[in-house]
Amino acid sequence: MNNPNEINSNSSVLRGINTVPFKTRVRPYLIVAPALLITIGILIPFVMAIYYSLTAYTFRIPNSDFVGFRNWTRMFENPQFWNALKVTITYAFWSTTVEMLLGLGIAMLLGNLKNRFSRIMRVALIFPLMVAPVVGTIIWQLMLRSSVGIIDKLLNLLGIYGAQWGASHQTAMMTVVMIDVWINCPFVIILILAGIQSLPKSPFESAKIDGGSAWFNFRNLTLPMLKPGILIALLFRLMAALQEFSIIFALTKGGPGDTLMSLSVTAYTQGYMYQRFASALPLILVLWFLVNVVANIIVKAWRKAQYQAAGKDIEETHAKREKNASNQIIREGK
Amino acid sequence: MAKIELINVTKRFGKLTALKNVNLEIEDKEFFVLFGPAGAGKTTILNNIAGIQIPDEGVIKINGEIVNQIDPANRNVAMVFENYALYPNRTVYDNIASPLRSPKHKKDENYIKGAVTKAAALMKIDMLLDRLPSQLSNGQRQRVALGRALVRDPNVFLMDEPLAHLDAKLRNLMRGELKEMQHNFATTSIYVTHDFMEAMSLADRIAIIDEGEIIQVGISEEIYYMPKNQFVAQLMGDPEINLLSCDLVENGTGFTCLWAAAPDNPIQLPEDEELFSRIRTLENKKVNVGIRPQNVHYSFEPVEGAIEGTVYSFETIGNKSVLTAQVKDAHVRIIAPNGLVLKLDQPVYITFDISRVIVFDADTHEYIGRYDESEVMKLVNEHRGESFTRAGENHG
Amino acid sequence: MTARKRLTAILQNGGLAIYAVFALFPLLWMFILTFKSDAEMLTTTFVFTPTLVNYQQVFFHSDYLRYIKDSFIVSTGAVLISVLAGVPAAYAFARYNFKKKETIAFQILSFKFAPEILVVLPLYMLYRQMGLYDTYLGLIWVYQLISMPLIIWVVRGYFEDISVEIEHAAQVDGYPWWQIFFKVLLPLIKPGLVSSALLCFIFAWNSFTFPLLLAGIKIEPITVAATKYLAQSTVHYGQMAVAATCSALPSIIFAIAIQKHLVRGLSFGAVKG
Repeated sequence: MNNPNEINSNSSVLRGINTVPFKTRVRPYLIVAPALLITIGILIPFVMAIYYSLTAYTFRIPNSDFVGFRNWTRMFENPQFWNALKVTITYAFWSTTVEMLLGLGIAMLLGNLKNRFSRIMRVALIFPLMVAPVVGTIIWQLMLRSSVGIIDKLLNLLGIYGAQWGASHQTAMMTVVMIDVWINCPFVIILILAGIQSLPKSPFESAKIDGGSAWFNFRNLTLPMLKPGILIALLFRLMAALQEFSIIFALTKGGPGDTLMSLSVTAYTQGYMYQRFASALPLILVLWFLVNVVANIIVKAWRKAQYQAAGKDIEETHAKREKNASNQIIREGK
Repeated sequence: MAKIELINVTKRFGKLTALKNVNLEIEDKEFFVLFGPAGAGKTTILNNIAGIQIPDEGVIKINGEIVNQIDPANRNVAMVFENYALYPNRTVYDNIASPLRSPKHKKDENYIKGAVTKAAALMKIDMLLDRLPSQLSNGQRQRVALGRALVRDPNVFLMDEPLAHLDAKLRNLMRGELKEMQHNFATTSIYVTHDFMEAMSLADRIAIIDEGEIIQVGISEEIYYMPKNQFVAQLMGDPEINLLSCDLVENGTGFTCLWAAAPDNPIQLPEDEELFSRIRTLENKKVNVGIRPQNVHYSFEPVEGAIEGTVYSFETIGNKSVLTAQVKDAHVRIIAPNGLVLKLDQPVYITFDISRVIVFDADTHEYIGRYDESEVMKLVNEHRGESFTRAGENHG
Repeated sequence: MTARKRLTAILQNGGLAIYAVFALFPLLWMFILTFKSDAEMLTTTFVFTPTLVNYQQVFFHSDYLRYIKDSFIVSTGAVLISVLAGVPAAYAFARYNFKKKETIAFQILSFKFAPEILVVLPLYMLYRQMGLYDTYLGLIWVYQLISMPLIIWVVRGYFEDISVEIEHAAQVDGYPWWQIFFKVLLPLIKPGLVSSALLCFIFAWNSFTFPLLLAGIKIEPITVAATKYLAQSTVHYGQMAVAATCSALPSIIFAIAIQKHLVRGLSFGAVKG
C-alpha cells in the first residue's frame, strides 16, 4: 500500500502522528489536581499572613489599613521579640542536641545487642513518640507535681523537697527540654537504627582484617555511612523544635514570666489571646524564615552525604527513576 | 500474524537519542532477531512496537496500518519481558490467564482453563500452577512469562532477552524449545538478544543494531561471512575475529600484504579480480584483514613461511580451547584442541588461511571484500529462499 | 566469653535498661494511676486497692466520649480525604514526567515544615469569615497540611518500588490504565498504603495546635480536652490518667501494627526502613 518513500514528514496525514493524545497528556495533571486544590487552599493563610503583618488589623478594630513596616520595626525594637528569639533558639538547640546524641547512642546499642531484650525494646521505645505531645506533657506534669508525682516522691526520699520543675525560672527550660527529649528521641533512634541495619558488611570485615580500634571504625566507617540518616533526623527534629508549641503551652503556657515564651507561644499570646493580630504575624514570619534557612542548609548537606555514602547506588536509583518515569507515554513539555 | 514495519523511527529520552532513524521491515511469520550490545536500543524498539512508547519521529506499521496512536492493549501484541514482569501476588495460573481476562480479549473461564493448561503443558510447568512467582526459580519464571504470551493469538511475539537470566544448560534447552515452538505457532516473532549463538541458531533474519542505528540486516550466513563492517564481524563470532592491520603493496599483478606486526613476512594475496579491483579504488592501501580463529594454523615447530610469535595465553572454553599468540604488540586468537601441553612465552609459528580473510578499510572499518564472494552470495540466496519458504510453509 | 566482653555486654544492656526505664516508666505509672482512687492518690505509692471508679467517672459521667467521637471523626475524615486525593497524586509523581513535577512535589512537602502557628493564626480569621470555624470540615481541611504530604511522599516511594515492567505487561495484556491502577498496583502497595494511612491517623489524632485555635465549643478533640483537666481547681488525677491513657492507646496499638513501615513513614520516604 504505502511506499515508504512516499512518507515524509510533510505529509499531512502524518502531521502530529507522534504527538501524545491530549487525553493522555492531560492525565497526570488531572490526577494531581485534587491534591493540589486541597493544599493550595491552605496556601492562602501564608499569603494572608504576609499581608496582614503589614496592616493594623485587630479583631476588635478590623482595620486593614496598610501601615507598612511599622509592625516590623516595632517588633525589632521590642525586647519581647529578642527574648522570644533567644528562647526559641535555646530550646531548639538543647532538645535537638540531646536527642541526636542520646538517639545515636541508643541506636548503636540496639544495633550491637542481639538479645531478646533489645528486640523487644526496638518496638517498645516507639511508644513515647506515639503519644500526643500534649498528653505526654500532662503525664510528666503528673509525675513531677509535688504530693502526687512519683518523681517528686523519689526526690523527697533523696532529701530534695519542693522541686519546682516547670514553675521555676531556673529549671523550666530544662524541664521542657526533657519532655521534648522523652517524646522525640525515639524518632532519632529508629531512623539511625534503620541506617545501622542497612550498613554493608564488607567494609567492616576488611577493616577487621586490617586491624583497627572500635573508635576508628566508628569515626571513619560507621559515621560517614550513617550521615544521610543522621541528617534527616536532624532536619526533622530541628525544624520541629524551632516551632514547638504544644509542649510549652501545655506545661506553663510560656511561663514562668517569659522564660519559655518562644516565638510560637508569643505569637499565640499576642494574636489569639490579646487579639493583636498584626503584631503577632511578623513573629511567626521570622520563625518561618529561620526554619527555611535551617532546612535549606541541612537538605544541601543531606544531598551531598547521600551521594557520598552510597555513590553508585544513588546514581542507579536516579537513573532508574528517570527511566521508569520516562517510559510513560508522556512527553515533557518544553 | 502480521508484517511489522518501522519507518524512519527516532526516539529520544531527554538528551539521549536511543533510536536514530531506524528502518526495519519484518515479514509475516518471520523469526526476526535484534542483536547488539547492551544499550544499543533493542528494548526501545520492542517498546515502540508494543506501544509502550511512542516514537518522536517516524511511523510504525502493523499489517500496513499505522499504529503510532494506538495504545498497547489495542495493538494485539504479546511481550515477554527481560525481567519477566510477572504479577507477584497472583498464582502462575492467574498470571498466564491474565491476558484472557482483560477487557480486550475476554474469554469465558472454560476457555481460559483449556488455554492455560495447554500453554502450561507446553512450557512444562503444569505442576506449578498454584505457586506464586516468588516460589519459582528463574527458569520457571521465564517459562511462565512465555506461557503468558502463548495463550494469546497475537500479531507478533516480542521477546526481550528471555533467556538472559538462565544458566547455560537451561539456556541451550530452551533455545531448542523456542525454535520448535516458533515453527508450530507460525507467528511473527521479534527476539532480542546479545548472545550471538542464540541469534545465529534461532533467526530467520538478524538485524545488527548499535547505538540506536541499524548496521546490517540479513540472514545469519550473510552477516557472518559478509559483515558490513568490523564492528559486526567482531560481534558475530566467539572467540572474536582477529583483525590484522596491514598495508597492501601492489606488485606486478597482485598485492602483498604487510602485516604491521610481521614486517618481514609479507603475505602474497592470491588472485581475485573482483577483490583487487575494489582494493585499487582505495586511496591509501591501509586495511584491516579479518581472519577468524578457526582459520589460523599454529605449530610449535618452525614451519616454512610461518610467522613467529610467542604463546600469550591458553584458555579452555568447553570442548575446544583458545590459544592466543603474541606477535610484537598484536594478539592472534587461534582455535586449538583441549589438553595441549605448553608453556607461556614458548615460541609458536602461525600461518593464515588467506582464502578465508575478510578485508576491511582501516579508516572507515567498512567491508571491502572477501574471496569467493560470489560463492558465498549463492549460498546466502539459497538459504534466504529456504527460510522464507520455511516461514510460508507453517500452516500458512 | 571473655571478661572484657562480659563487661561490655553488662554495660550495654545496663545503658539500654536505663533508657528503657526513662522511656517506659512514665507510661506504666500513668496506667497504674488510672486504677487509684482519689482518696488514696496522695497517700500511697505503689501499694493500693485498685478500683475502676476513675474509668466510670470519665466514660459515663463526663463528656469524654464526646471528645473521643470528635477526635475520631476529624482524624478519620482527614485520612480519608488524604488517601482519596493523595494516592492518585502519589502515582502521578511516581510514574509521570511532567513540567515542574519536582517543584510541585517539594512545595507539598514544605507544608509539613511550616510552623503550625503560621498557618493557624491567619486561618483563624479566614475560617471565622467563611463559617468554617469550629466545624468538622474546617478541621479536616486544615489537617491535610500534615496528612497529605505524608501520603503523597511515602506512597510515591511504594509505587516507585514496583517495577514499571509490570505495568507494561498489564498494558500489553489488554488492561486499561485505570484497571491497572486498581487491580494490579493497589494490591501490591496495600501494606504500605495501610501503614501510611494509620500513621496519618496517629498524627491527626495527636494534633493539638489546630483544634486549639480553630475549634472551640462544638468540637473538642481529646488533645484539647485533656488540657481542660489540668485547669480544674480540684484535679482528679486518676481521671486525668484515664484520659491520657485512652488518648495514647490507639496510637500505640497502631504503631505496633505498622512497625515495619514506621521508619519510612516517619521520614516521609527519605529513609527506607
